[in-house]
Amino acid sequence: MSVSSDISLEAVRAELPVAARYAAAAGLTLDASALSADSLRFYVTFENRDGERFFAEFDCRDYPLYPPTVEFVSEDRGERGTLRLYPQGFHTTPCVCTRYNRKAYQERGGPHGDWRLLDWRLPTGQGVGIDTLALMVSDLDAKIRQSSGRMG
Amino acid sequence: MSADKKEEAGPPVLTLRVQTPRGLWSMDEPKDADKRPQYAISTKIQQVINDARSVFKFVEEDSKYTLLLGKEVLVPERPLASYHLPDGTLLILSVQGGNA
Repeated sequence: MSVSSDISLEAVRAELPVAARYAAAAGLTLDASALSADSLRFYVTFENRDGERFFAEFDCRDYPLYPPTVEFVSEDRGERGTLRLYPQGFHTTPCVCTRYNRKAYQERGGPHGDWRLLDWRLPTGQGVGIDTLALMVSDLDAKIRQSSGRMG
Repeated sequence: MSADKKEEAGPPVLTLRVQTPRGLWSMDEPKDADKRPQYAISTKIQQVINDARSVFKFVEEDSKYTLLLGKEVLVPERPLASYHLPDGTLLILSVQGGNA
């Protein structure tokens, strides 16, 4: 099952203003300048407690039926998913191991065979369900802000 | 100003804005909010967190809710006055979910 790119684009555009306002208030850079039906991606730059920067890509293909694929990339976006691009504190696959990351699901090569993609809005563990782009930005920022160093 | 007039004026009040992942909380947003971010400066940070959660219905107790001023985490037990915030300061309600 998939979602037409036009529908995903509309859904992302509907949510981005709140995510962008949150990011701006939190001192994060959100770059959606290349967002289009052909490229359903936007980027957020986070900082850990040492001031090191990490560049997260949100690939929103099939959103909102399925969650985005969240991946850390290099600043020039030429390298992706390597240990050195990840902050400490995430799964060493490496992977942001939350229900809102499509990469975390076993059917996408991730560690979680116990999760169903259609249930991505459920809480990971306990607590609030991270079910909007702005909440994803908040959750990642909170986790990275408390971490120190890189995975590799 | 006389002591009587000071009493009439009441404790100093601070108006805040709080950006949350579900929207901005201010004196006019969201329209249907049942409370506004206007506080006596003796109010503890925890009360602001509780009120922002209430307005945006962050009801889950197991999540971590933090109030930030830029990158600075505000201590829940401290009063607003201890941060010397100017009127209209923008704070951030950070919401953190669980880990797998």
